[in-house]
Amino acid sequence: MTGGRYLGVDLGSTTAKAVVVDGAGKILSSSVVTMGAVSRAGMQRAIDQALGEAGLTESDLQGTVSTGYGRRLVPGAGRTYTEITCHARGTAEMVPGVRLVIDVGGQDSKAITVGDDGLVRDFAMNDRCASGTGRFYEVLARAVDVPIEGLGDLALRGSDELEVSSMCATFAETEIVSMLAEDQDVADIASSVHRAIAARTLALVAQVGRYTPVVLTGGVARNPAAVHFLSRALDAEVTVPAHPQITGAFGAALLARDGDRGRPVATDVRGADEMFPRPRGHAHDGHDCSGCDGTLGPGTVDLGTVIPAWR
Amino acid sequence: MPESVALQRLREAARDPRAYVAGWRAHHPGRRVVGVMPMNFPREIALAAGVLPVYIQDDQRPVAEGRAYLPEFYCGYTRNLADQAATGRLDHFDALLLADHCIQLLGASDVARAVGDRSVFFGMLISSLSDSWAEKKIAEMMGQFRGEFEKLSGAPIGDEALTRAIEAYNADRELLRRVFDERAAGDTTWSPVELQDMVVSAQVMDPIEHRDLLVEALAAAPRGERDDRVRVHLSGHLCHAPRRELLEVIEETGAVVVDDDLWSGRRYVQSLVPFTPGEDPMSAIGRWYAERNVDLPCPTRVQHDVDWDAWLIDATRRSGAEVVVHLMPKFCEPHMLFYPELRKALDAAGIPQLLVETEHEGIPLEALRTRLEALVERALRHRPAYA
Ligand code: SF4
Repeated sequence: MTGGRYLGVDLGSTTAKAVVVDGAGKILSSSVVTMGAVSRAGMQRAIDQALGEAGLTESDLQGTVSTGYGRRLVPGAGRTYTEITCHARGTAEMVPGVRLVIDVGGQDSKAITVGDDGLVRDFAMNDRCASGTGRFYEVLARAVDVPIEGLGDLALRGSDELEVSSMCATFAETEIVSMLAEDQDVADIASSVHRAIAARTLALVAQVGRYTPVVLTGGVARNPAAVHFLSRALDAEVTVPAHPQITGAFGAALLARDGDRGRPVATDVRGADEMFPRPRGHAHDGHDCSGCDGTLGPGTVDLGTVIPAWR
Repeated sequence: MPESVALQRLREAARDPRAYVAGWRAHHPGRRVVGVMPMNFPREIALAAGVLPVYIQDDQRPVAEGRAYLPEFYCGYTRNLADQAATGRLDHFDALLLADHCIQLLGASDVARAVGDRSVFFGMLISSLSDSWAEKKIAEMMGQFRGEFEKLSGAPIGDEALTRAIEAYNADRELLRRVFDERAAGDTTWSPVELQDMVVSAQVMDPIEHRDLLVEALAAAPRGERDDRVRVHLSGHLCHAPRRELLEVIEETGAVVVDDDLWSGRRYVQSLVPFTPGEDPMSAIGRWYAERNVDLPCPTRVQHDVDWDAWLIDATRRSGAEVVVHLMPKFCEPHMLFYPELRKALDAAGIPQLLVETEHEGIPLEALRTRLEALVERALRHRPAYA
């Protein structure tokens, strides 16, 4: 095994991800912890699990880079990078030749164009509402009373011809409720909402340009209907890496390995504490981490494995 | 080094124009104060009449009653003006004035006329500056402004008074412009918020008083050398100052603002009235208006041989800016109209850019921080050292 151990931590709005790589950039371990809401305890669990699986402690690490919404809160991170840079870096490594990365996270979505050199060319983010994000799918799952894991399969069974006029997470919920009241088929509702969300993502992509190959990352990439409707909207094959949730953390770990000059971690920047209140006297600050084993499974991840998701 | 008292006074005037006007009135009993809407009225005419012309600022308070008058698709500045008018926050002015600017601002001036009891003067300055009749129309309108201020002050405006007013504003603008030039050249380390306070206070204060304070503030300032942070040009934000926290976040991301074309920045300081002693001051004022667009193109004016995009590319070359951040107020039609051209030109020149649509109500700072940091990272990782 190549020398050096590097940690990448992606602290998102609903999940914390950690990846350990060796000096050759090979993934040694990874973890994904669902937090429910941003939590320092959840983040620490993700780090501990990834380190534990790799048989390491923090003192074994040669470098740590953090990314994600809570990147400034990761202990021990010498440098931070934005999710945009890290997703591009991680995805370009997992899927060489990628030109467009669409990352749909819990609370935002991004379209990132990547150059021949694997560097970010341009990007766009939805920054004002939950439309088209993981949160939106959660709203849909709750409204149609289906577990989130089953939402994609349900949507793939339905017809997508119902009119969904509101893409606001709040108003869409009431619209779905009224469709249910009209006795519309649940699968048709799920399918139609997926189509509408894909159209919304297309608008985001339009800001940076439609390039191929396209890779979808983030938790939503595990939803087959989301992939299907996005492929259809883009009229292009959409590839999903084997572990789409860890591309950001993987990119961060690679940047730590590259010894690149990121931004020194500064936790005193305005807003940090309001966003991520420090736990008051709790080892675990009350967020529910139950129901998630927090890992993608032990061992290394085969970067060659990508799931062709064209349906 | 402790901040100079002069700088503090400039900041106070910029952030609380109402208090400044009250203080000015106390020292100048019987004199009038006119609230001026941006960006085209030559304040020299008002000053020559003994009137203090104050550019009306967005006071950043939430739009409440103003919502009844202007819909959400008006820009935040105009909605804020409507709110100021509807709630008596323009009462410290004796009159209001708008020299042709944009249709949304015209709407705000109509609201001020409808809800207030002070007179509102609208002067239709020709916006199409390439037309053969432009010079004549400009001269006519400038003459009308002069007549209106003679009526307001009750006395004729002499050429000597006009000359003194031109000299006062020119001297103040020239000094401000020097600060901007020094920043673009990398010789000074004023933060964008400090510079904004300097310019906004100039838009509010008596120019002689402002310049005296500015001289003092600059003398007390440490000079700094440019470091290797990513150099940013800020573009847009017609025609009011962006929120300060937005400017602060930009530099918190590890970037340094080296130049801009903001109304609360270089756009205000760029053009001096081209007056030569002995000439007719009114014709010099007319030329100031006609040529302002050449010095720094404005999307509210029409001139065939002038391009904002070409100016922007040249400006980035002069200052060494590596990225451009567009600050576009929602829903500023003039800026929206020009933005595609700006974007295309910067893309062609290989200059990374980021569009930030600003809102009167504020924008989510954390999401903005991520976008700005990504832009900075992109610029850093494309520097030759990374190749
Ligand atoms: S130019 Fe733009 S910002 Fe200024 S008043 Fe018009 S719409 Fe508003």
